[in-house]
Amino acid sequence: MSETLSTLLDQITKAYKRKDALYFEGKTITYRELNEQANKSANALAGLGITKGDRVAMMLPNIPEFIYCFFGIQKLGAVAVPFNSMYKGREITYILNDCGARAIITLSNFANLINEIREDVPSLEHVVLTGQRTLIFVTPESSLNVQLVVEKQTFTKPEDAFREVGALLVELLASFGVHEAWYKHRGGVRVGGRKIATILVSEIENLITVNAMLFLAPLDTKELFKVVWVTPEVKDKVLEPSTSIEELTGKRPDNGEVVSRLVELVKEHFGVDVVSGQMKRDELFGYEKVLSLAGR
Amino acid sequence: MKQKEQQRSWRLLHNDTARSVDLLAYPSALVEGRIAGKYMLSKEKLPDTLVIQTFAKRGILAGSDAEVDKAAASDHGIEVSKIPRSGRGGPKAVGTLDYSDLIKEASKKFTPAEREPDDPAIILYTSGTTGNPKGVVLTHRNCMAQTELVELVMPMSHKDTIVLVLPLFHVYGLSNGLICGVRNGSAMSLIPQYSPVKLMDTITSTKATLLIAVPTMYMHLLQLARSRKTSIPKSLRLCVSGGAPLALTTLQEFMELFQTQIAEGYGLTETTSAVSLNKTGEHFLPGSIGPTSPGVDMKIVDDNLQEVSDGTEGEIAIRGDVVTPGYWNNPEATAEVMKDGWFLTGDLGYRNEQGLFFITDRKKDLIVRGGFNISPREIEEVLVTHPGVEEAAVVAVSDKRDREIVKAFVVLRDGSSLTSSDLLQFCREELAEYKIPKVIEFRETLPKSATGKVLRKELRTTTQQVDQRLILQKEEN
Repeated sequence: MSETLSTLLDQITKAYKRKDALYFEGKTITYRELNEQANKSANALAGLGITKGDRVAMMLPNIPEFIYCFFGIQKLGAVAVPFNSMYKGREITYILNDCGARAIITLSNFANLINEIREDVPSLEHVVLTGQRTLIFVTPESSLNVQLVVEKQTFTKPEDAFREVGALLVELLASFGVHEAWYKHRGGVRVGGRKIATILVSEIENLITVNAMLFLAPLDTKELFKVVWVTPEVKDKVLEPSTSIEELTGKRPDNGEVVSRLVELVKEHFGVDVVSGQMKRDELFGYEKVLSLAGR
Repeated sequence: MKQKEQQRSWRLLHNDTARSVDLLAYPSALVEGRIAGKYMLSKEKLPDTLVIQTFAKRGILAGSDAEVDKAAASDHGIEVSKIPRSGRGGPKAVGTLDYSDLIKEASKKFTPAEREPDDPAIILYTSGTTGNPKGVVLTHRNCMAQTELVELVMPMSHKDTIVLVLPLFHVYGLSNGLICGVRNGSAMSLIPQYSPVKLMDTITSTKATLLIAVPTMYMHLLQLARSRKTSIPKSLRLCVSGGAPLALTTLQEFMELFQTQIAEGYGLTETTSAVSLNKTGEHFLPGSIGPTSPGVDMKIVDDNLQEVSDGTEGEIAIRGDVVTPGYWNNPEATAEVMKDGWFLTGDLGYRNEQGLFFITDRKKDLIVRGGFNISPREIEEVLVTHPGVEEAAVVAVSDKRDREIVKAFVVLRDGSSLTSSDLLQFCREELAEYKIPKVIEFRETLPKSATGKVLRKELRTTTQQVDQRLILQKEEN
């Protein structure tokens, strides 16, 4: 029998290659497929410069990628550091620093959480995202969404989009009486430890898209948990502690007022004129396509 | 920051009747329009755009892998839209890498690196008595030794299907579920998000033969089985329970309804999971953690590390290939628990004349909830960072089902008007949910020893009575 985890999966696959290895959401994965996926994972991590002895953190639920990456890490001779996916920023920072992780593999949902602490974890070179388990809950009372779809050149570098939109939102909040808001690195805007706005920046071709959510009034999550079954322990992970303009000032601002002030701030910050318009033909095409793909 | 010299014009799209899907549909549509323009597929040149949306309806935008109960959603007037699986070249979050992109071009072949059995393979973080968690190093030898131990006490084979419902970041699921599963060529049923129904359905649909779980899950399954009467899966040939003691009545009723056997295991992260198993059958003794498994030495020692006689309480010490070489980067913590090749568990117990072990108490100030270790000190350290808190002490108390819950005693600064809900909210910002105190009691002072050390034991005993009263009041209401 194999003496190490590095060779274990290869050895077992030789004996049982056609046998079922994993059942996941109606799909079956054989040992041969599992081993190939683990090899791909090992090669991908090697491509990032991960080598023998390096620590690779994993913050994942029980999904096939956990197993592919775990054995990928073992095949590389690196050290897997799987940790509790319920951990918060402070706990994650401690663990990543203590083990000196060079990479973390985590769910797309946690991109924000990891980005926020990235400056505090100098050893961390790569953040690898997998699995789409995001849940965004919106209500007419609470949510306001701000998006930018602009040319890359608008920002000196893509990372600046976080900071600039963060600063803009902090200013917006101040004009509605929320003076303690501060921008947290790459994650969003907080008041104390609680989130009042989230910011997500993505890039595609020559474009940058910014998608930000601002909480105007408390988000009533009771309804959400009737629809999404989560163990009590995980509830807080689905929704980080948040606050809102109404909770902090006692008054929910008028939608129209927020919109006009936002437009003014955008004009000022980006030195542009902002003119009301509508989607054009090509855009409407794309819009309909997403609606049909999204099951509506 | 930006070129103000030329006045550019952005377009504003204002949507005050947005649906959750618009969070995704707007940027996708705008990006698609722009890219079509770039490749001259369209005559329209589209401008930089600002979108502002407020919502007409409550809604959820869910990732393609997230589970949402659509029927319940429509009953509650919540619209659900799913984020389609991203295709090639979709938008990428800045500063991150996409796993599917990384493996797309990666080869399916790889020659494993050569490692020595004593090289570290895994580091698992676990809470101890100190504030911060410690990284338990598990070597290749540790992991393989655990599979050999399981082989001897609970043989598995390629004909088995084992349910992986326990989190794989925890030693129990990782070592006894995943690594043992692969070692035996077994099939593994993965459950990413536990719910009792999901677990029951997975056992049924994949005809699972082995289940490793924690007592709460057995309790849930039992409740579900009682209400169902029929359609209880009978495929399980063996179940293992660990993390906390399982009530004898639950165990017996479960075995009857599911026509299976349940063994109770005992182990720690530092021992790569199980070191003893109390199997139903001949040697079964309720309350015992069973005899030591082959390949593991276990003994009871006194404060001077001398082995004590059978029936005498002392600390459980363990030796064997499953025992960790120590904590990552932490020789002090390692030296504290490793004595002459023996690992001191911090669990107190005794051995009876038949060689069966029993656990009676814990030596360290540690709280264990659902198999997760919680360090009281870590919670105390968070509490005292609140400007309104003078000092705090955290202890384990038992709830009415005799499970450990976290209770905090807090002394407020003069003039502070903090409420327990303020403090709980504060904790939620810093700590994982399972560490958040279930009860906070405000005190004028904390009981202390002559040297100024908080007497947790005293807090624990006074607490038991207080809690009983609180629970009784709750039930009367």
